[in-house]
Amino acid sequence: MTFALEVRGIEKSFSGVPVLRGVTFALEAGKTLGLVGENGAGKSTLMNILGGGVQADAGQMLLGGVSHAPRTPADAARAGVAFVHQELNLFPNLTIAENIFLTAFPTRSGAFIRYSAIYQRTAELLREVGLDTPPDTPVENLSTGQRQLVEIAKALSRDARILIFDEPTSSLSARECEQLFKVMGQLRRRGLTMIYISHQLGDVLRLCDSVVVLRDGIVAGSGPTREFTADRLVVLMVGRALTQLYPSRRGSARSEIVFEARGLGEPRVIHDISFALRRGEILGVAGLMGAGRSELARILFGLDPHSRGAVFLEGKALHRASPTERISRGLAFLTEDRRHEGLCLDASIADNLMLVALRDFARTPLKLLNRAMSRATLQKIRERIRLNQNARDEQPVRTLSGGNQQKVVLGKWLLVQPRVLILDEPTRGVDVGAKFEIYSQILELADGGAGILIISSEIEELLGLCDRVLVMNRGEIRDELSRPEFDRERILQSALPAELFS
Amino acid sequence: MESGSARPTTTRLLPGAAEFFGRLAQSDYLVLGLCVVYLASFAPFTPGLLSLENLGNLLQSLLPLSIAALGLTVVLIIGGIDLSITAVIGLTSVIGAKMMSSSHGWLADSAFAVPAALLAMLACGAAVGALNGIGVTVLKLPPFILTLTTMMAVSGFAVWLTKSRNIGGLPEGFSSLWASLWFATLLTAVIAALLHLLLARSVFGRWCQAIGFNSRAARVSGVPIQGMTFAVYVICGVCAAVAGILFTAQAETGSPVLGQRVLLDVLGATVLGGTSLFGGRGKIHWTLCGVLFLRLVDNSLNLLSLSIFTITMVKGGVILAAALLDAARSRLTISRK
Amino acid sequence: MKALTLLLCLLGLALVSSCRKSDSSAATVGAPGEKNLTVGVSFETLQTEYWVAGLDAIRAELKARHYSMLEAVADGDANRQLEQVKNFITRKVDGIILVPKDAQTCLPMIKAANAAGIPIALFNRPAEPSSAKSVAVVADNFALTRETASYLIGLAKKSGEQHEAMILLGDLGDINAVGRRDGFEAAVKGNESIIKVVAQVPTEWSQEKAQAGVVNALQSHPNIRFIFTSSDFLLPSIVSALKSAGRYKPAGDPDHVLLGGFDGDATAYGLLKDGYLDATGVQDVYFEAKQAVQAIVDLRAGKDVPPLIQDPGFVIHRDNLTARSSQMWGAQVSKR
Repeated sequence: MTFALEVRGIEKSFSGVPVLRGVTFALEAGKTLGLVGENGAGKSTLMNILGGGVQADAGQMLLGGVSHAPRTPADAARAGVAFVHQELNLFPNLTIAENIFLTAFPTRSGAFIRYSAIYQRTAELLREVGLDTPPDTPVENLSTGQRQLVEIAKALSRDARILIFDEPTSSLSARECEQLFKVMGQLRRRGLTMIYISHQLGDVLRLCDSVVVLRDGIVAGSGPTREFTADRLVVLMVGRALTQLYPSRRGSARSEIVFEARGLGEPRVIHDISFALRRGEILGVAGLMGAGRSELARILFGLDPHSRGAVFLEGKALHRASPTERISRGLAFLTEDRRHEGLCLDASIADNLMLVALRDFARTPLKLLNRAMSRATLQKIRERIRLNQNARDEQPVRTLSGGNQQKVVLGKWLLVQPRVLILDEPTRGVDVGAKFEIYSQILELADGGAGILIISSEIEELLGLCDRVLVMNRGEIRDELSRPEFDRERILQSALPAELFS
Repeated sequence: MESGSARPTTTRLLPGAAEFFGRLAQSDYLVLGLCVVYLASFAPFTPGLLSLENLGNLLQSLLPLSIAALGLTVVLIIGGIDLSITAVIGLTSVIGAKMMSSSHGWLADSAFAVPAALLAMLACGAAVGALNGIGVTVLKLPPFILTLTTMMAVSGFAVWLTKSRNIGGLPEGFSSLWASLWFATLLTAVIAALLHLLLARSVFGRWCQAIGFNSRAARVSGVPIQGMTFAVYVICGVCAAVAGILFTAQAETGSPVLGQRVLLDVLGATVLGGTSLFGGRGKIHWTLCGVLFLRLVDNSLNLLSLSIFTITMVKGGVILAAALLDAARSRLTISRK
Repeated sequence: MKALTLLLCLLGLALVSSCRKSDSSAATVGAPGEKNLTVGVSFETLQTEYWVAGLDAIRAELKARHYSMLEAVADGDANRQLEQVKNFITRKVDGIILVPKDAQTCLPMIKAANAAGIPIALFNRPAEPSSAKSVAVVADNFALTRETASYLIGLAKKSGEQHEAMILLGDLGDINAVGRRDGFEAAVKGNESIIKVVAQVPTEWSQEKAQAGVVNALQSHPNIRFIFTSSDFLLPSIVSALKSAGRYKPAGDPDHVLLGGFDGDATAYGLLKDGYLDATGVQDVYFEAKQAVQAIVDLRAGKDVPPLIQDPGFVIHRDNLTARSSQMWGAQVSKR
């Protein structure tokens, strides 16, 4: 039996902290391997070593029986390792064909690009990945799912021996996911070896031939997919059985309205949005990408302008109040864009956690910080959000795993005890363990009397947490369901474009 | 030192020289250490380098630069830049001298001439800073282009005010106090201490840092970015004005070209100290050390009677080395991920 | 906290060294006839030939006396020059020769030298009157310009016709420039029948402004036959303007434009030889260098030295060119 990839005893530590501790597994040629594990389990580091981003401290890798120890990403690419990343690495201003051939343009007399040749080749590649778009389309005109397919075409153009998918579905709609899985099936039939990394365990079980579970830098379990169930994978990943996916709710919505939107509108963004959020209520917003959900959240928080309607917090109109003012009146907003809007990645954990609440720790007149008080608070909030114990307060947030980063964002808002919390995709790219903890915090906040507005693309998550769900479609609220009416199909129908059903 | 330190210092030790140099490069006092090493290696063959008198001279030449560099540090921390510092120095010099000169001042020989002139000079710096602040926040201009424009306009205005003629005859009371070493040192110390408190210990400092690291995240977290940015540019303008006062007192002359050549010294010293041009990282004592080192190099080469061209080249080399070091430092921080 | 400690240390240093400074002001003046002096020389700029020639002359003079020299150039920065003077004082020089940037910014430098008891001489540019004590060696701009202009007017008289004239003014913030303008006007006075000044070009000592000004003046007054420049370093601008107007003719040609200047640089020497320039007032750099060094020696010996030593200079023209070119610094520069 030939192995496309063999990993033997790989070890790696950063600043003395072991991240991988003797990882060993093998992948048969032409098969698909599912790699699962919590954030921080070592998946990204392992893939970085395979892709030449970092070097292992010990151990060995064999690619098709030949030793594979890339010093740079370019080395790895030459050896036939290709990535389809969670964050896409395409240039939006270039065409599909230019993106695919960017580093290897076929040229005439060494200087002039032979466009006819690359268009022809690109068209072939696009047929292979099932993308029916002209090769000279600029990438900025494509949807996220289409861009992902372009990434795959790019990998194919380089005769990749192993194709690695890192969380490919995290920003795709349901339909785009199906399209991706179809293409992956075709590639598998063609005999391409693939590694599929995802938190969506159902997808892993459906797509992969074998599974490797990482926990704390060791292989916690591996074998053919048929030997695993989703529950068993969770047990292996977390190290204990999670009895339920969603924490149980103790309190319930109260009668008084804490946050209200009346006829909110902004041309080409949202249209006539009205809703009322009560104290202790968890209100979900479902919808497809581009339905205007995130835009609505930004308008509610005062980050973007709106031309019609008004927002009321505890009965008082917010008019044109700045985010700063809205925060001081009890509004909080957890953004979907953690890296660009949620965190100062290079600043320390402590500074990020304290950023919103800072003013409460300042003494007049120079606004000097009360350091003893802030240290004590910091300790408390770290315990409350269960941040990774090994992380030091002064460590840059960038060094944390995705789940822990998200906990920091949530933590900084919990510190100001908001009366209304808006969450935009709070668990995107977050592993099951961290998800559960984030849910617990949200419920606890609601039980304490805060109003919660959650935007999520995972319908299951909304059904599991919310008291009521609004469905948005093309900038409007199309449907509203209270808990007894919850119905997956009905939400999907309202969210999908109307023409599909007419 | 503070929990707010942006540079991670590892508590776990990996054996080996790389780790040692890594820690050294990230140390707060690297530049101060370099100063000591430099002093020790140059003192034996540089006549008079360690004499008290020369150290006094060194200190005196360092003070106005330090104050200007401190203001710039705050601007760099929020990820901005201010190129108009030198123009502010020239303008304050001219305005102050125009008011208090005993030969042709507007307030010549009045008892209030000196305090009024000082106030006007500070107001001048604040006004240019405010102009920059408004340009960056309201008009959303890139700080580099904006302050470059302000620099040209303000220095042009200063030259026009004087018709490129210097103004002498400044009151004795002004020059003797503001050019005296102990007073200028005390003033610099007070400003440095105040800014240090602001940056390291107050809400203001954390907000500056957050804006510099990621202004979008800072905005979402409720940091009043517009107000902060405005305030920071005003602080920088006022610092430049104070530097202008010291320069004017030392030269006993109001001149529009007084600080014309110090911009690179100020910027170079700040970056040399370790403050990042990309925002977020920067400390008051880093900048003080940076100014000290740059002046030390300048002073010692001067004492060796090297030509200005040599001195300029060596200084350029030192700043380049600092920039390389800064880049290496960031790489180290990232690779420790 | 560490930052605060650092600040306190600096403050301590400041106090200690400011006390020390007042002690050193009691330094004694050297005895007469002493040997092996060290003189610190700081030039504001070396950007024109004149200053290079001046520095060379001082260097030669010091060498002839077996004195040693520390040199520094401030590159147009008054603060830097102040620092250089202080460095000289630190290194305990016996005297300082300074080309200051201007009349005001040199005052703190002179005061510092006074306080340290070190004699200081200003080369070619005087300081504004104040309590600070220094000796300035400067050309007698007024007399020398008047003499030069009078010589040129004499040439103009020979033709018997009235000449339209243009003068290029220097930066009028510079008293040298003012002296030259006044000298020129004094020479013209009483000779209005020969010379009619139709254009005064302000140059602010800039070649570009001079060139533009001369071109304009020649266009609006095509009959100009007499040009005087306040400094020879502007001659290239005049030559190029005359050439483009087709008026660049040597002496003897009926269309020759009478041309006079001040300084005596290498360009002037070349133009004199070729017959395009009629006269220039030469600043005697060698005399000035000698006087500056002598002033330092005399001050150290406790002799009385006048605060202003004037270099009378001389007018050089075609008739005395061979006889006096050895004293013309521009001739020496161009021979090298």
